[in-house]
Amino acid sequence: MSSAVVLYSSPHMDITAKQDAWLQQVAAAEDAAALAGLESRLFGPKGEVVELVRSVTSLPKEERPAFGKAANAIKQLVEAALRQRREGFEAEELDRELVAADFDPTEPGPRARRGALHPITIVQNELVDLFTSMGFRWEDGPEIESEYFNFDALNIPGDHPARESQDTFWLDDGNLLRTHTSPVQVRTLQRLVKAGFEPPLKVIVPGRCFRSETVDKTHEHSFYQMEGLVVDRVQKGADGRSHGVSTANLIHTMKTCLRVILERDVEVRLRPGFFPFVEPGFELDVNCPFCREGGCSVCKQTGWIEILPCGMVHPNVLREGGLDPEEFTGFAFGMGLQRVVMLRYGIDDIRHFMGGDLRFLSQFPEVAR
Amino acid sequence: MKLSLRWLSRHVDLSGVEPQQILADLTMSTAEIEGLHRFGAGLEPLVVGHVRKREKHPDADKLSVCEVDLGPAGGVCQIVCGAPNVAAGQRVVVIKPGDTLPAAGGKGALKIKVGKIRGVESHGMICSESELGLSEEADGIFTLPAETKIGARFVDVCPVQDWVFEIDNKSINHRPDLWGHYGFARELAAIYGRELRPVCEPVTLPAAGASVEVIIDDPDACPRYCGLRIDGVDSGASPDELRWMLQAVDQRAINLPVDLTNFVMLDLGQPMHAFDARHVGDRAIRVRNARAGEQITTLDGHQRALTETDLLICAGDEPEALAGVMGGQGTMVEEGTTSLFLESANFRAATIRRTTMRLGLRTDASTRFEKAQDPANAELAVHHFLGLLRTHCPSACAAGPLVDPAGHSYEATPLLLRRDRLDLKLGVSLEDQQVTDILSSLSFEVDVVEGGFYCKPPSFRATKDISIEDDLIEEVGRMFRYDNIPERSLVGAVQPPPPNDELSLTRRMMEISCLELGCNEVYNYSFVPDAILEACGAQGQQYVRVSNPVAPEVSRMRRHVLPSLLSTVENNLRQNADVRLVETGKGYHAEMRDEHGLPHEVRELAMVFARRASTGPHPFGELREHVQHLLRRLGYPVVMDRLWSGSDQPWVHPARAVAIDRDGSPVGFVAHLNPWTCKGLNLPREVAIATVDVRALHANGRAAPVYEPVPVYPGLPVDVALLVDANIKVGDVAAFLRTTGRKLIRAVDLFEVYRGERVPPGKKSLNFTVTLGAADRTLSDKDESKFLSKVRKNAEQIGAELRG
Repeated sequence: MSSAVVLYSSPHMDITAKQDAWLQQVAAAEDAAALAGLESRLFGPKGEVVELVRSVTSLPKEERPAFGKAANAIKQLVEAALRQRREGFEAEELDRELVAADFDPTEPGPRARRGALHPITIVQNELVDLFTSMGFRWEDGPEIESEYFNFDALNIPGDHPARESQDTFWLDDGNLLRTHTSPVQVRTLQRLVKAGFEPPLKVIVPGRCFRSETVDKTHEHSFYQMEGLVVDRVQKGADGRSHGVSTANLIHTMKTCLRVILERDVEVRLRPGFFPFVEPGFELDVNCPFCREGGCSVCKQTGWIEILPCGMVHPNVLREGGLDPEEFTGFAFGMGLQRVVMLRYGIDDIRHFMGGDLRFLSQFPEVAR
Repeated sequence: MKLSLRWLSRHVDLSGVEPQQILADLTMSTAEIEGLHRFGAGLEPLVVGHVRKREKHPDADKLSVCEVDLGPAGGVCQIVCGAPNVAAGQRVVVIKPGDTLPAAGGKGALKIKVGKIRGVESHGMICSESELGLSEEADGIFTLPAETKIGARFVDVCPVQDWVFEIDNKSINHRPDLWGHYGFARELAAIYGRELRPVCEPVTLPAAGASVEVIIDDPDACPRYCGLRIDGVDSGASPDELRWMLQAVDQRAINLPVDLTNFVMLDLGQPMHAFDARHVGDRAIRVRNARAGEQITTLDGHQRALTETDLLICAGDEPEALAGVMGGQGTMVEEGTTSLFLESANFRAATIRRTTMRLGLRTDASTRFEKAQDPANAELAVHHFLGLLRTHCPSACAAGPLVDPAGHSYEATPLLLRRDRLDLKLGVSLEDQQVTDILSSLSFEVDVVEGGFYCKPPSFRATKDISIEDDLIEEVGRMFRYDNIPERSLVGAVQPPPPNDELSLTRRMMEISCLELGCNEVYNYSFVPDAILEACGAQGQQYVRVSNPVAPEVSRMRRHVLPSLLSTVENNLRQNADVRLVETGKGYHAEMRDEHGLPHEVRELAMVFARRASTGPHPFGELREHVQHLLRRLGYPVVMDRLWSGSDQPWVHPARAVAIDRDGSPVGFVAHLNPWTCKGLNLPREVAIATVDVRALHANGRAAPVYEPVPVYPGLPVDVALLVDANIKVGDVAAFLRTTGRKLIRAVDLFEVYRGERVPPGKKSLNFTVTLGAADRTLSDKDESKFLSKVRKNAEQIGAELRG
């Protein structure tokens, strides 16, 4: 409380006594509510302090200046006292909040709306981001394909055993459900060549494919693949030797991709694999994340997991796409997305992907990194 | 296909190489090995015993009590034996108490204990071949030659134990030469730089004698047919070692001639067929196409209806075998057969493949012929067979010359492997000597020439897999090992790739739907079950159909995404009070075709908002707002104020659906689910659905947001409640308010539709907040009352009445 005391003596009223009474009342207010009541009694309409200040008009003219001055001083004094007292109460109140004991950090609030992308979508988006950052274009193609694009154009002629090994779903109109994303290789080449091909071509094609298989824990007739194709012109170096897209480039690109997507420094091995649309063809394996060389059931005791068939584009495929294989070379790969997703999240049953059960689907609230 | 290490070692010395190493090296250079297991595993404890005495069991007719001497391995012991053939003097295989007989023939491992059998103590067990896992069946105990050392370990005196590699057949589909042990032995010889022994010594065949005439109708279908009559054959059981080697690779032993045809097939990849010469008689062998309506009963007892594309081996005109697939019943070699007609032929892969596919009959022979076998092997196999036969049955001999009307001559087509191309494709440079060594080790003839290598592939690689330079690059690469190629990054400028708007838009739509609007993304099959279509009332539409569906009732390809998405709702509502699902996928429309004759594919985004019955308002409004927000967020402002009526989507409520219009064209809809569909799919009424055609949405491109100046003067909110008939549309009333307020309107927002006791039946109260504002001044109460009185005055134009 302010110690300033206004002294004024008037024959008409003892304003010092009022001042003392008011300041005392302020000091005596028990809580913020009592103080608010007092404030409205003193400063509200017809409040005592207001009345005092206003009462100057009833005084003789000569007394008015001195009285007015003193009354205003009292008013300010009481106001200051009130403010100080109020701030005191507020401070007490805030301090009380700081020691609150009723806080329960585990009490849930209203539920946030939780949605989630399908885990295959998450991984596919990541792959798309990765490859587009390396200059690959993102394409797709029809899921219902002609025999020509699915087989013939890919160097798989009519009596080729690969036609049956792929267990094709045939349609009543003679077309088929694409057994791989590879038909988009020739589709893209033909389209670009028609439009005046400017090498290099780098393209990825993620999409749904179909093979007539009995569905079980590890087999699914509808599956996701991501095709990749790189084609560039063969250049003659200063040393007279040819340079172009090679197996060495394929290994590097695949390693980079797998490192990012599997979030670890993968070891890969490249071994022979047979696919009619590549020559040479490879199977690319990554070291099994679930065991250490010793072998486990996931890698069938080999320490390696087959993840990526790939190879150098077969000259016949380049020709079918409208390019001269003497002038162009390329590599292609086809990654099984389900396999990658299962490895990444440790999913043990492939049927979940197409099962439509939110108890599975809501487990992946991630966004593509 | 299975490979025996013991067998491979007949052709190439593999000493010092661990089986695991062979597995790894074959995997890296040749073919995928799926497994490695030990044949005869766990037989180590078994010992050779001598049956000194055999007496009948006192209490059982079929049991014998034997006194067996195990020599240093356990002395003399008493063993009760149930085999009928046990006899004193035999050398037998015994397992002692405390040892474990490994699992065999579907029976689990058996721990041997001293026990009493019908009151007589037995200290071990005398084993049969099937108990040892060495054959599938056995008539009695297995006996060893009389001179076998008593007490020796069985595995030391008999060549039973073996390592067996399991090859992934898919990885050798392109390699006819790898369908037998010899082909793999050749690869191993090349990998380890060891010598490959000749598969057999040629046998001298008589120049004259008994022979069978062979007539080949169509040399395309049957490029070569070698036949040989062999007499003096013993058709009894094959020797143990041969039977065990076959058993190790899962080939059941039958009798010596048949076992040897199988052995040669599993060695060279050349299928053979041994006919009992009595069936053939003096008739000519004719290779001809079947006639329409003709039938043959194959060895397996099935009667097969044939077509003109099937190839038959006939004696005279009578079908004796389905060429390259399976012999006919009744022609087979049995015990008692002493004369054979041996067939070793070559058939065209496509012919055999067509027959096996059509009949669903795949055999070891057909599998090999489908890979295009080398015709040179047809003759080689005859020599191989006869050589082996005479080893085991010296009385056997060719009764006449080899009949081989087509003959075979192989002239290799040379291929040039350019050094420049080799380096270019592999991305690594090899020494000339390395390249030459690799190709030579694989039986190619190689000449180093200017700029490369002049290569002649061997006949067994020339039928299908080596035909171009790139095939040679593969040969060099795989033997050099791809793992030895250093990785190198692609070079050249990286250009930003051209965007794919439709795919990017789809991706963003899904991300916003899931991450912002709280939907869960679902994947459903492209096939839709008939039951779902029926529940949706859409079974009568035109569908693309699968000819060989996973099940007959899922042969249709979906026209739209919604039915399959809806089929997942019921289950999920059981777990969750409300669900929001989204799916993107293709719809297939059979009636529209592209230039390749393919059905039209429409990329759709489908959404379902559903909540359990009576737990809140119908989710339609919420879904509508979400869709509007989603599309605005993406830069595709749309109008939704028109009733939608789509002809081919009967699951849409016909009177409660709004079109999503972009620039005046429909790109989708939001709707209540048709109550009949609710009933059919066992769903509550509270299901709202939406579909957007992604390509149609994007047809006119994106619209970037347009800046409007931020108002300088504050807006004045005015509450307006209008009482209207229940059938009046909010959109029309809002439009009326906009018209009425003219330039002063900043926003018209509905905050409540009230139907209740304070409004008369058949009416509703639409409560808006209208925000007024001007660009040049702050509005006053006067503006408000002026606006309201204008509303009051004009309200009857739309049949409305201003409340309050």
